Amino acid sequence: MPRIVITGLGLVIANGIGVKNAWDALMNGKDGTAELKSFDTSQYKVHRACEVKDFKLDTVFKNETTANTIHKYTYTAAKEALKDSGLSDITGYDRERFGIAVGTLAGELPPFEYLLRKAPEDKANGFDMGVALTYPPSSITTLLSEDFGFEGPNMISLNACSSGNHAIAWAFDLLYEGKVDVMLVGGGELIPQTEFTHFHNLKALAPEKCQPFDKNRKGLVIGEGAGIMVMETLDFASKRNANIYAELKGYGMSCDGHHMTAPHPEGAGAIKAMSNALSAAKITYEDVDYINAHGTGTPLNDIMETLAIKSVFKERAKEIPVSSIKSMIGHTMGAASAIESVVSCLAIKNGAIPPTIHYETPDPECDLDYVPNEGREINVNYVLNNSFAFGGNNVTNIFSRL
Amino acid sequence: MNKRAVVTGIGVVSPLGIGHQDFWKNLVSGNSGIAPMECLDLSKYECKNGAEVKGLNPEEFLGRKGLRYLNKGTKFLGSSVKMALDDANLEIDEELSNQTGILIGSSLGNFSQTTDYFHDIVRENPSELSPMQSYDVALNSSINYASVVFKIKNFARTISSGFTSSTDAIGNALKLIQNGKADVIIAGGVEQISLDLYMIFYMRKMLAGANGTGSEISMPFDKRRNGFIMSEGSYVFVMEDYDHALSRGARIYGEVSGYGSIFAGNRSSDIGKRVEKALNAMKKCTNDAGISPDDIDLINANGNSGKLSDLIEAKAIKELFGEESENVPVHTVKSALGESYGASGAMQTASALLSINDGLIPPTINYEENDPECNLNIVGERLEKEVNTVLINSFDLSGNNSCLIVKKHE
Repeated sequence: MPRIVITGLGLVIANGIGVKNAWDALMNGKDGTAELKSFDTSQYKVHRACEVKDFKLDTVFKNETTANTIHKYTYTAAKEALKDSGLSDITGYDRERFGIAVGTLAGELPPFEYLLRKAPEDKANGFDMGVALTYPPSSITTLLSEDFGFEGPNMISLNACSSGNHAIAWAFDLLYEGKVDVMLVGGGELIPQTEFTHFHNLKALAPEKCQPFDKNRKGLVIGEGAGIMVMETLDFASKRNANIYAELKGYGMSCDGHHMTAPHPEGAGAIKAMSNALSAAKITYEDVDYINAHGTGTPLNDIMETLAIKSVFKERAKEIPVSSIKSMIGHTMGAASAIESVVSCLAIKNGAIPPTIHYETPDPECDLDYVPNEGREINVNYVLNNSFAFGGNNVTNIFSRL
Repeated sequence: MNKRAVVTGIGVVSPLGIGHQDFWKNLVSGNSGIAPMECLDLSKYECKNGAEVKGLNPEEFLGRKGLRYLNKGTKFLGSSVKMALDDANLEIDEELSNQTGILIGSSLGNFSQTTDYFHDIVRENPSELSPMQSYDVALNSSINYASVVFKIKNFARTISSGFTSSTDAIGNALKLIQNGKADVIIAGGVEQISLDLYMIFYMRKMLAGANGTGSEISMPFDKRRNGFIMSEGSYVFVMEDYDHALSRGARIYGEVSGYGSIFAGNRSSDIGKRVEKALNAMKKCTNDAGISPDDIDLINANGNSGKLSDLIEAKAIKELFGEESENVPVHTVKSALGESYGASGAMQTASALLSINDGLIPPTINYEENDPECNLNIVGERLEKEVNTVLINSFDLSGNNSCLIVKKHE
């Protein structure tokens, strides 16, 4: 049976650019939340977000429209991950066995928002969408394929907030079936005003900060960034003596089939995704050392996720540390689960887990160990990483020490 | 031993009719779904033809409740899923719902309604917009809607890979069934015509009739071809584990048995390389199906009337089949249905399955003038012929080349 391993990581998130900076920031509980700058929020009740700061691209876009694409983040994270894995140059390899899968919720939107803000009348009159670099969404992976010379399967996963984990699951299957040797996978997102408005008007946005599992949590903080990993078969990695962070043991999917925006109240879908992931990984609830939570900081999600964890982990639920990095980098939507997958691999490699910050008041309904405010050094052999999306679209994956 | 994936239900919302029966009757009769577009005001533009869905009454399939909040693409997809489930005589009960997934390809989903919503954000006070205005605006919201309405609980996944989206979705569904991840997968594609989409093709002069060439006709592989015609619709299949289908005595349309995908970087001007990658995608697919090109008795071509893309496809087919390429019949449904981008692979799959069932090959209409560079055995007139194994080609403008093998089940 082929084993699938992670050999390179790349991160661009609100509290740090590059894996090293980002990991230090996460372990130190650095909050990436600040005043939202990329568009005017004066008409909204919420003005804060987790935007990527001080970002410099080492390649130049021709115009301002194309500079507004998520390509700048996915490209940067992908480049870091490939360099990390020793695959910056793939000359001599069979390029048709190198594939790409990236998840996004609405990564293609910001350039159009930029154009329409300048000339709203163009919407009705017709405008040249071709000037936007990331159109249609699949252009995001097309660009990466062209940048890095990958010629294998290529797709964008459009699955809202579980997009990244869907892309990783899809890549896992391709590697497992022996169809490819290497997959560049992950997720990327910018903050579209469209999604900001959507969450704002659903009253899902917290005014100041994201406080997952806290009694006074007021919602999510929207975020942006990218998380990319290099996945390959253990055989392929061993042959080229690659550095290995972790093994992806398996994934579990489910769908609530319940509501367009609200999660199932008892977490039926979440329970199923976690249980399916445990069986796919051929481990039990007794083996997991750390849960990287979906933990959005919305009242409904955090109760639902807590209930689901208790149902799956039974008597162990309260002893397993559960943390949400969304408290520091916001909800990066389509990129979130990919970024969290990168962080899961780092937890295994570094023997440490990041905290849930802004944790102030315990909630009787959320009574697990949420790693409040301080990161911890612990030995991590198995991590379970949850992602739950609108539409009840759930994917959980499990990473382990090799 | 891998499990096998068969198709037991077909749901169609197309410019040639609602339901696979009307779709097929019109397709084999050589009727065209292409006409001047009514859903867009194109008075300022020279290219006016398109293949629009007409006559869909979504209430018939989805009931009246909540219908007013749904966008066009969501109505297309929801209606076609209902048709496919009815056609398969499949009731998704509590037990089956946990074994049923949905996997849809769409290059854009509800993108147009998303930019409409943004248009409102720019013109009005955004914080006063009703949340119901954004109820159905995510690119994958039509798939979420279908999963909620039809109680699909195994998984929901949307793939976007440009023109090959639904081909990749069906290919992915094949793998998930082969590996025992689901007994039933609702797989296919959905796409809708919008001004946003029209503009990108128009500005790039890719539509038939652009460049002042006048005739707005889809003429795949014809020497006169001058671009493609936009199309919309939804084509979905109940794909089922073969044993599961057998145990419930389901009617089987055919088996999806192979899939392959290669990225070519089609923006490159290196035609030789693009031919090679299209060829490799076909080879990967036949290898995956465990067959040789000799086993293929029909090619359901990508051929969308694009000047260069048809040429590349013809060259790749000739390389794959060698001398035999003069004999193996090639047809494309896009002559009558246009280019349905992310839904095209599923549109072609519907035709391929019905060809296998009825021993009929629909004509490539408008095929009149042979292009010596695309010298294939194009089926210009409807042909009665036993069809066992079909190769479906699906090529994206910017890079993906994906193929499927659909065959008679044994």
